[in-house]
Amino acid sequence: MELTINGQTHQVDIEPDTPLLWVLRDELGMTGTKYGCGLAQCGACTVLVHGQATRSCVTPVETVAGAKIMTIEAIETDPVGQKVVEAWVAQQVPQCGYCQSGQVMAATALLKQSARPTDEEIAGAMVNLCRCGTYNAIAAAVREAAQA
Amino acid sequence: MNDMTVPAQASSTGAPLNLSRRGFLGASLGALVLGVALPARQARAQQADAPAIKPGTRVNAFLEIRPDGTVLFRSPFMEGGQGIFTALAQIVGEELDVEPTQFVMEPAPPGPDYLLIGGMRFTGGSMSVRLSYDAMRRLGAAARQMLLQAAAVQLGVPLAELTTEPGRVVHAASGRSLAYGDLAGAAAALPVPENVTLRERADFRWIGKPFARLDIHAKSTGKARYAIDQTVDDMLYGAVQHARRLGMEPGDISNEAQVRAMPGVHSVHRLPGAVAVLANSWWRARRAAEALEVNWTEPASGTANAMPADFSTEGHLAKLKAMPGAGLDFETEGDAAAALAGATQKVEAVYDAPYLAHGQLEPSSALARFNADGTLELWLPNQAPEMFQADAAKVAGLSPDKVILHSQLLGGFFGRHFLYTTANAYPQAILLAKASGRPVKLLWSREEEFLRDALRPMAVARFRAGLDANGLPVAYEAVAVGEGPAGRWFGRKTDKVDSSSVEGIAGKPYAIPNRRIAQIHVDDPMIIGFWRSVGHSMNDFFSETFFDEMADAGKQDPYALRLRLLADKPRHKALLEAVADLSGGWKRGPFTAQDGTRRARGVAMASPFGSEVATIAEVSLRDGEVVVHDVWVAIDPGSIVNPAIINAQVNSAVALGLSSALFEEAVYAEGVPRARNYDGYPILPPDRMPKVHVRIVESGAPMGGIGEPGVPGVPPAVVNAASVLTGKRIRSLPLSKQRLSAGEG
Amino acid sequence: MKKLAAFVVLAVLAVGAGYWFATRIPASPFDSVGSATAPLPVERGEYAARLADCVACHSTEGGKAFTGGLAMGTPLGTIFSTNITPDRETGIGGYTLAQFDNAVRRGVAPDGRRLYPAMPHPSYAKMSDDDVRALYDYFLHHVPAVRQENRPTTIAWPLNMRWPLAFWNLAFADAGSYRPAPAHDEIWNRGAYLVQGPGHCGSCHTPRGLALQEVALDERDPRFLSGALLDGWYAPSLRNDHNTGLGRWSEEDVATFLKDGRNQHGVVFGSMMEAFNNSTQFMTDGDLAAIARYLKSLPGDAARDGAPWSYQAAAAPAPAGPMASGARIYAARCGFCHGSDGRGRNEWISPLAGASSVLALENASVINITLNGSGRVVAAGVPDAYRMPALRDQLSDGEIADVLTFIRGSWGNRAASVTAEEVRTLRELTNAASSDPIVLQMR
Repeated sequence: MELTINGQTHQVDIEPDTPLLWVLRDELGMTGTKYGCGLAQCGACTVLVHGQATRSCVTPVETVAGAKIMTIEAIETDPVGQKVVEAWVAQQVPQCGYCQSGQVMAATALLKQSARPTDEEIAGAMVNLCRCGTYNAIAAAVREAAQA
Repeated sequence: MNDMTVPAQASSTGAPLNLSRRGFLGASLGALVLGVALPARQARAQQADAPAIKPGTRVNAFLEIRPDGTVLFRSPFMEGGQGIFTALAQIVGEELDVEPTQFVMEPAPPGPDYLLIGGMRFTGGSMSVRLSYDAMRRLGAAARQMLLQAAAVQLGVPLAELTTEPGRVVHAASGRSLAYGDLAGAAAALPVPENVTLRERADFRWIGKPFARLDIHAKSTGKARYAIDQTVDDMLYGAVQHARRLGMEPGDISNEAQVRAMPGVHSVHRLPGAVAVLANSWWRARRAAEALEVNWTEPASGTANAMPADFSTEGHLAKLKAMPGAGLDFETEGDAAAALAGATQKVEAVYDAPYLAHGQLEPSSALARFNADGTLELWLPNQAPEMFQADAAKVAGLSPDKVILHSQLLGGFFGRHFLYTTANAYPQAILLAKASGRPVKLLWSREEEFLRDALRPMAVARFRAGLDANGLPVAYEAVAVGEGPAGRWFGRKTDKVDSSSVEGIAGKPYAIPNRRIAQIHVDDPMIIGFWRSVGHSMNDFFSETFFDEMADAGKQDPYALRLRLLADKPRHKALLEAVADLSGGWKRGPFTAQDGTRRARGVAMASPFGSEVATIAEVSLRDGEVVVHDVWVAIDPGSIVNPAIINAQVNSAVALGLSSALFEEAVYAEGVPRARNYDGYPILPPDRMPKVHVRIVESGAPMGGIGEPGVPGVPPAVVNAASVLTGKRIRSLPLSKQRLSAGEG
Repeated sequence: MKKLAAFVVLAVLAVGAGYWFATRIPASPFDSVGSATAPLPVERGEYAARLADCVACHSTEGGKAFTGGLAMGTPLGTIFSTNITPDRETGIGGYTLAQFDNAVRRGVAPDGRRLYPAMPHPSYAKMSDDDVRALYDYFLHHVPAVRQENRPTTIAWPLNMRWPLAFWNLAFADAGSYRPAPAHDEIWNRGAYLVQGPGHCGSCHTPRGLALQEVALDERDPRFLSGALLDGWYAPSLRNDHNTGLGRWSEEDVATFLKDGRNQHGVVFGSMMEAFNNSTQFMTDGDLAAIARYLKSLPGDAARDGAPWSYQAAAAPAPAGPMASGARIYAARCGFCHGSDGRGRNEWISPLAGASSVLALENASVINITLNGSGRVVAAGVPDAYRMPALRDQLSDGEIADVLTFIRGSWGNRAASVTAEEVRTLRELTNAASSDPIVLQMR
């Protein structure tokens, strides 16, 4: 099947129910997207599908064949993603960093849908887990990116 | 296989170390700091006749100044989010005179140069900066001195005429200067100077400043690589299915042929306590490993670490609570028994705290490759490279010098990456690489990670206090029941209390004239481990919450009583006043907040890892659950390196402490954990994160830790506040076990 | 089927009845047949055992095959399934074919004791002589004998007396094996046989009466397979109800569901996951097609089912109230898998829009699976790629009620709201599903 990731097309030959996460990581070598739980609990695997935050660990690859997929690898080529990364750096968000690819992708999806999100919208969209507890810095960075 | 005696190769004397982590660290911190400067030690048995190496002194082992002026620094300590790479760049850069931004950090390989923690090396106990601070400053200063010497030769001028500015040696008189990058080769060939002059504190440009972390951009763009991300040519992916209970071994696999025929599957293997599948992607390996129908055999009696088939956390808790005896004394003052007998009023309570999982977001993994030259290369997360190297060597049947260890960024720290028997993935990776003749990257699924994590031990504490006629405590007795992880992994003497089982009950600063702190040891059937702030993580909950019980019984305000009992402890008293001030002045409540919710505040103090911490939490109740709105933390680590990192670490510690107070509990029945993923083991989600307010107090006391100290004060502060609202004492965690309702008051 | 409740009424039924009737040994067509028949190929009896899903109750996870011991809670106490291995002392090794037949099809043990109808003998009564003979052959000749004592029930005297069950049987069990309906073709009749007989679908899917009997045992009664509550799950209608039954499923959809455990309409869960793991997936394509043919012939009931569901894009929820709160929870907890449009992900992850279990009047299944998640679907020996997590430790009763109210009221779904009390009741009665794949051994 054909996948469009970060503007490039890739042919993959894989079982149709394989999670997108493992196609990205093991077939295509894009390891910026992380495995945390495999159960849509943590969000470390978040990518964008048609601009929507999508947990790739629970996304059967056949369901996104032909869709426009964006991963953390392309984050700085995206104008919204670029703003988010700048805010992440300004707010010094990451600690261990493992969940942050997913957090940045979730924030990017939010700001693509709502350029000036309310605090409620931020709380509703930024639901990924962070064991280091960077939640306050994440919220501050999303607000900062929205102002930028 | 995983003998946890500290391997000889990693010890300072060649004999196995058998020391309590706290016993040898906590008791004599000063001596340890000196330990770095003690005469050279031989770190490796096989290098007995090589020149002795003094850890932290050989500049070339740490620093490589590259032609472009950037500095490659091999860090003795692992980065797991605590900011150690940045702190070391600040410290070394300050003395070396190189902008910290010019540093490229990587974990140092195993070796005698890096044994900076009392002749050993591990990243933990919030010790990295405080125990290496002086050595790292001297290292930077020595390197600068060598660069100056090299420049003096090159420029043909007296050394005394040279100065430095960031990245350059400057000869002011002639206006000439040389970049460090151009001097590095010559400098590296010079002997390391014995005596160096350090910068005055007043001249610090980077130490003590909120310097931006070096790893932020990479971690915000997915470029940071963890063990799970490593790949090598010709690699196979491995997944395992562990026995449900430790000690069981794989027997027949009834569908092995079918599983071998699954897509991408390379081979099926039996391992100690597990079965494994190697495949051409992890997902395929994982599905196949899950599909294996294994007949597990029960452990023979006497099998080490075997999990009893009838073990339950409920049963173990009942056992701890029912343990008879007075326990072994750890800390005594005055005559607690007599004072209790003569007290006007007695207060008694029994507290408990559950097993906790680390729950770091990166599940365990390891990549192993045997090379043609007979070496084994390993890519894995760890907190103690020499120990992992030695153990890996044993697994592989090699000598340690044949094991090349590539330590990785830690995708979550919290004490998960210590050398725990059965809790590490690398022995399996090594065995699978050996069996298949191919490099193997083994990754535990989240379910296998929860099954084999080393847990924060369950604990019980029994308290008795005696109050005088004025309601003031005159007698205090606390008996901790359980087992501490330091004793488990560093050896325990039966006639001595493992300090990791009592820290946080012992070591409290309050002036109660008659005290007895004791411990009853009970072997824990679980693989127990260090969990951020270790014994403090539950013991300060016990003692600081019981403190409020004493206060209430004596009709004292808990804040006022603390202040009163700290009258002779100016450092603690100032800190307590600081946190009250930070929170706008102490008020216990209950009171009605602007949004109409009924709220109350609780306070707690802790003295963990050489730092002092005072915490206030403000909570309300909603649908039977505790909502924490604000947490104020005043922390006194003596002196600091990076206030921004401290702020971030306190935020992080508040999140973890709160997570443990509200949600976390590893429950077992029939020897098996109930939860195998975050669905059954919830951790703090973003919508439960309170606002966190931090004040850093630099009292000038010896430098304390930062990574862990913020944790212990949170559960008691939250529970003390919740008890104000419910009118009932809460003596068991997590709070989610019970539906709370507002009481009188 | 496993944990049938309340047999107390049975005692009442027994008053005044004759001891002879209650303990007599019924006649079996095999009365004159000795046990020394020539063994059949293992596949023959194993297939019959798969059809009848004997393993579901007579094996336990980790236990030896068919040694029984599965606890079934009833309001009167716990009963345990029995050892049906050919061990002579503790199992059924001493049974003649006729005795075996009486146990399976008539619920009568060799000593005349009546079996609790947790054993679905009212359905098994319809099994053919051939299938019973094959089962007997399988259990006597191909299952390893294991000595394992049966566990006594915890039901106390006098309610532990079995003879009143004879009258229950008289009242509620059909006599005789399945007789083909001449009006229908062979495929339909094969399907009817499998559904009514060995498959005992009605045990879960047919409502029960006061004495806990299935109110209908075949298609002549429109209540047959019209959906029923059991063990904290709602087994939905298998009739052609447009919303809450199989009305929108093709015959192929039905067969695929039973073969793969999933199709575009949904994935097996709850007790059906167990029936799939242990039984339906092992049926031949022909038998599955027959079952589908038969089920699709059962008319729905538009009066019960309501206006036909059709997909509607979600309206913007009100700013406050359960729908708004439910929408927020859905986005954070559910939408990543089931889709913000509620349509799931092909056959891999169930749609919630239009799903019969979501639309059902009874909300037990949606509450149960939200609280406890799903056990593992093991198809062709491979555990599922995606499973429903248990949310009981993450969401409060009120939050679960809100999100289910949202799900039952969105995308064209028009099912009643769910209350926190309903969630709390089920929370207390149930536990989270295991994330371990559970495969019960047949040999």
